[in-house]
Amino acid sequence: MIQHLSLNIEETAAVILFGIGFTILLLHRNLIKKIMGMNIMDTATYLFLASKGYITGRAVPIVVDGVQEVSAYINPVPSGLVLTGIVVSVSTTALMLSLTIRLYERYHSLDLDEILILAKEEERT
Amino acid sequence: MEGNMILLLPMVLPILAGIVVLAGKVFRENRKYLTGLSVAVLVLELVLTFQALVSGGSLTMIRLTDQLTLELHIDQVSRLFAALTAAVWLLVGIYSVSYMSHEEEEHRFFGYYLIVAGVLMGLNFSANLITLYVFYELMTLTSLPLVLHERSREAVRAGLKYLFYSVAGAFLALFGIFFLAGVSENLTFTAGGVLSDSALAGKEGLLLTSAFCMIVGFGTKAGMFPLHGWLPTAHPVAPASASAVLSGLITKAGVLAIIRVVYYVIGPDRLRGTWVQNVWILLTLLTVFMGSMLAYKEPVMKKRLAYSTVSQVSYVLFGLSLLNPTAFAGALSHVVFHSVIKHALFLTAGAIIVTTGWTRVEQMRGLGQVMPKTLACYTVAALALVGIPPLSGFVSKWYLASGALSSGTGVWAWVGPAVLLVSALLTAGYLLPLTIQGFFPGHDFKGEEIEKRGLKGKEPSWWMLAPIGVLAAAALLLGCFPGSLISMLQSIAASVL
Amino acid sequence: MNFVQNFPFFSIILAMFSGIVSSVLDGRKARNLSLAMIAVTTALSAGTLLFCLGSGESYTFMMGHFPAPWGNEIRAGILEGVTAIFFGIIMFLAVLGGLDHTAEDVEEKKLNLFYIMIDLMLSSLLALVYTNDLFTAYVFVEINTIAGCGLIMIRQKGRSMSAAIRYMIMSQLGSGLFLIGLSILYDVTGHLLMSPARESVELLVAAGSYRIPMLVIMAVIGVGLAIKSGLYPFHYWIPDTYGYATPTASAVLSGLVSKGYIFLLIKIFYRVLGYDNLVSSQMVNVLYVFGITGMVMGSIHAIHETDTRRMTAYSSVAQIGYIYMGMGLGTSYGMVAAVFHIFTHSATKALLFISAVGLYEVSGDKKDYISLRGAGYRNPLAGIGFTVGALSMVGFPMLSGFISKLLFATSALESPHKMLPTIIVLAVSTTLNAVYFLRLVITLYSRRRPEDAPIPETRARSSWQLRLAILCFIGVNLVLGLASQPIVQAIRDGLAMFG
Repeated sequence: MIQHLSLNIEETAAVILFGIGFTILLLHRNLIKKIMGMNIMDTATYLFLASKGYITGRAVPIVVDGVQEVSAYINPVPSGLVLTGIVVSVSTTALMLSLTIRLYERYHSLDLDEILILAKEEERT
Repeated sequence: MEGNMILLLPMVLPILAGIVVLAGKVFRENRKYLTGLSVAVLVLELVLTFQALVSGGSLTMIRLTDQLTLELHIDQVSRLFAALTAAVWLLVGIYSVSYMSHEEEEHRFFGYYLIVAGVLMGLNFSANLITLYVFYELMTLTSLPLVLHERSREAVRAGLKYLFYSVAGAFLALFGIFFLAGVSENLTFTAGGVLSDSALAGKEGLLLTSAFCMIVGFGTKAGMFPLHGWLPTAHPVAPASASAVLSGLITKAGVLAIIRVVYYVIGPDRLRGTWVQNVWILLTLLTVFMGSMLAYKEPVMKKRLAYSTVSQVSYVLFGLSLLNPTAFAGALSHVVFHSVIKHALFLTAGAIIVTTGWTRVEQMRGLGQVMPKTLACYTVAALALVGIPPLSGFVSKWYLASGALSSGTGVWAWVGPAVLLVSALLTAGYLLPLTIQGFFPGHDFKGEEIEKRGLKGKEPSWWMLAPIGVLAAAALLLGCFPGSLISMLQSIAASVL
Repeated sequence: MNFVQNFPFFSIILAMFSGIVSSVLDGRKARNLSLAMIAVTTALSAGTLLFCLGSGESYTFMMGHFPAPWGNEIRAGILEGVTAIFFGIIMFLAVLGGLDHTAEDVEEKKLNLFYIMIDLMLSSLLALVYTNDLFTAYVFVEINTIAGCGLIMIRQKGRSMSAAIRYMIMSQLGSGLFLIGLSILYDVTGHLLMSPARESVELLVAAGSYRIPMLVIMAVIGVGLAIKSGLYPFHYWIPDTYGYATPTASAVLSGLVSKGYIFLLIKIFYRVLGYDNLVSSQMVNVLYVFGITGMVMGSIHAIHETDTRRMTAYSSVAQIGYIYMGMGLGTSYGMVAAVFHIFTHSATKALLFISAVGLYEVSGDKKDYISLRGAGYRNPLAGIGFTVGALSMVGFPMLSGFISKLLFATSALESPHKMLPTIIVLAVSTTLNAVYFLRLVITLYSRRRPEDAPIPETRARSSWQLRLAILCFIGVNLVLGLASQPIVQAIRDGLAMFG
């Protein structure tokens, strides 16, 4: 078991990180920490993807010194996916941060439960 | 759309007229136009219905899915129900012309009154179970505004109760329909049932369960225990003409649906001797007895009549549940007689309310001094419902009882007639006090209130009195000359059993 | 290659570009552009559908210059065409119906932003419908989430902003799970295009290897998209989100966004994981249990709700439960019923949200039962619209909801083990639906009481756009209810093409 895990050290780490991020996003009440959790979760996925594409002993797939055969390079697709994923996660993070700023300006709190209660009260008055 | 287009007319005409009445401003402002149009449409409706009944045939309206079509067809049962509906609807319509002048927002009443007439025609003409279900739901929905008419808190509560009971009942029935649609390609009404043995193999238990669901579900409208609760709440709050048709005809829609399900889709032979039949008989007899008891103890006139409906419609269901030709003919004749009688009674109650404002039976002492003609009509109808020969109720109860005795249903064969007899006594007990107290108030009755309010000899207008008179006369004449009706019913019974 | 085959790509790119162009337009122009774009994309989808019906088979469209199994692809078939047309129609009517309220709820300067979000939303929905590539699906899921969040938060009220952040958090949980699911799938199969991935999955299943990873993939993708579509018990963001957004946004979010994810899930089930594998791995049973729980619990929540808009939102939870229940039956009949219910629910829920607006207009913008008393008389068309929607949800014959229930019930009869619970839960849920919807309908048509607070002066008449939208929605409902046969047939053929 342990051997399996240590053989796939990147995947193990990725899954653990994903769990940590997921739990923080789900359970933490502080919005900033939630956003951090979200980023940890996304990063864990990128680690997983990137490690899938990496093949030990091969180079980045950029043709510099005329080496053309495929066996010289790692799989470029996961790297491309990670790049796209990073763009996506940056934009969602930006959106959530801007929302958090708006909510903080309005309610002077980062605690989601508290914000919900305040918003309910605000509506009632 | 293919087939005999004449069938469409009695359905479409009143619905369109109803929509026109609801939408047209002129009908809101001018009473003459409103009542004139309504009565004219109802007369035309009667003519068109007979035209359609004579021409017969069938009509495919629209295909919902491969196997589900909306289809109309005319057979003997639809003739019976459609003729009854059209005739009674016209009489109550005439009555409403005068009665509704005391109510607000008449155009709304007449609008929905006309629409329900069209929907009921569709229900009567339905050729298969899906069409029946569609019109059944439409009927619930379009008759709801009649219950809600007063829009008071009680009316809303009663309307909600009516709606929930109806919806619950309809969905109970719907799952039976889903089951049947699953086992049979074709749900067209065929005398004696359409299901094939091969499709049902291994599903007998489910068939019985879904049959029971449908009987109880459609029984809601017919006021059958355990889903009868809406009836005594909804009827008293509605205007008298609405409670009359709710009680006399809308409950019969439930009866029609049960006839169609049991005798025309599932087939009586599949239910004979099963638990479904036994439980069904038990439920109807319970309802017969309980309805009479509650009516006997009820002081408010319209509520008393509503409980009476609960009891009397279950006479019909009892006759159906025996799965016996004689009882079946008796049940169908009771559909006609009860409808005629109950309309007369409810219209009388409405006339009393309009003229005197009395709602409780004990207030109505000395009523004979106020409206002797009306009360005489009432008495004829009441005696007919009790079942005094030669009035009409006697004929139907005779057939019901003799059908029960020869039905071979074991203990029910004699428990049934006994319950009917007890219930007849109770019927006399709750209907006749009004006659007795009305005509013979006793020596101590001075009639001060009647004197003071100048009510003496104040009959309702002819618009109201004439329909009551016609209905009472029908209750009498149908009892004296039941021959042709009964022979028609017996031919229906012979075709399904 | 036939020119028509470009249409799916054109419609996605057109929607996206009008979003981009709208950023330099003012509100009115952005609005008109948006409406025109929706109309054009719907027409393009219709062209695609006609082409597929004509040729009788689906086709794939290569994006860029790399052929399968490396490049990116679009796939169009009958079901994609029908769904895209349907989404287009609902989107158009929802935008049209909420037009003047959008203008009121959104600051004038930000009005074009709203329509950018609408454009991006449609673009991402179309991409979810048409794509044949899993990673593209993920990217558009995220775009969809961002656009949805924008639609909610554009109304600068406290409740809508807190609703937006909750929506965002739940969506992120869902898309995180979806992404990790995709990564593991890529790891196991080596493909991101649906068709080659499907082949590898079949080989793996036949060889019996990677059992546990396959199970994890199914679970993680299923749960991820279930969270995003608001399946009970992941529903708690729904009432706030639908309840406090501007009407168009509510209608679009409840009617379309959740349906886009469900459509994607169905597509992945059929085109990647293999529906039979899901059935044999018991995953469908999990969805089934969640579905029937949602059907009952959503309705119970709705009964307790006094705010009618939140009530309608909770009813969505129940209806999403219906869809997952159909998917969970594990038969193709159940799936047909589920897809048909996607259409039913989109049309009906959008109708309810839009016509409810007409009723709030004449009740001083209050949304509780007491204020709405008699609103059906004050705004007759909106009252009729709401009544039709409510009756359809309850399953009244001749309306779309009836056909859905009929399909669910008949498909339940095909799966012996699930027949009884399905039928019982359908009955219970229908009755509960009737309780809260019909109670509201009766309230709309009952008389105001003397003690009721007077209605503040509001507009005399709804805008013509609102009335037109209500009429069209009623029409869509009637079409689905009365002429369901060709649509059901198209769904059947489309699913067969997925196979």
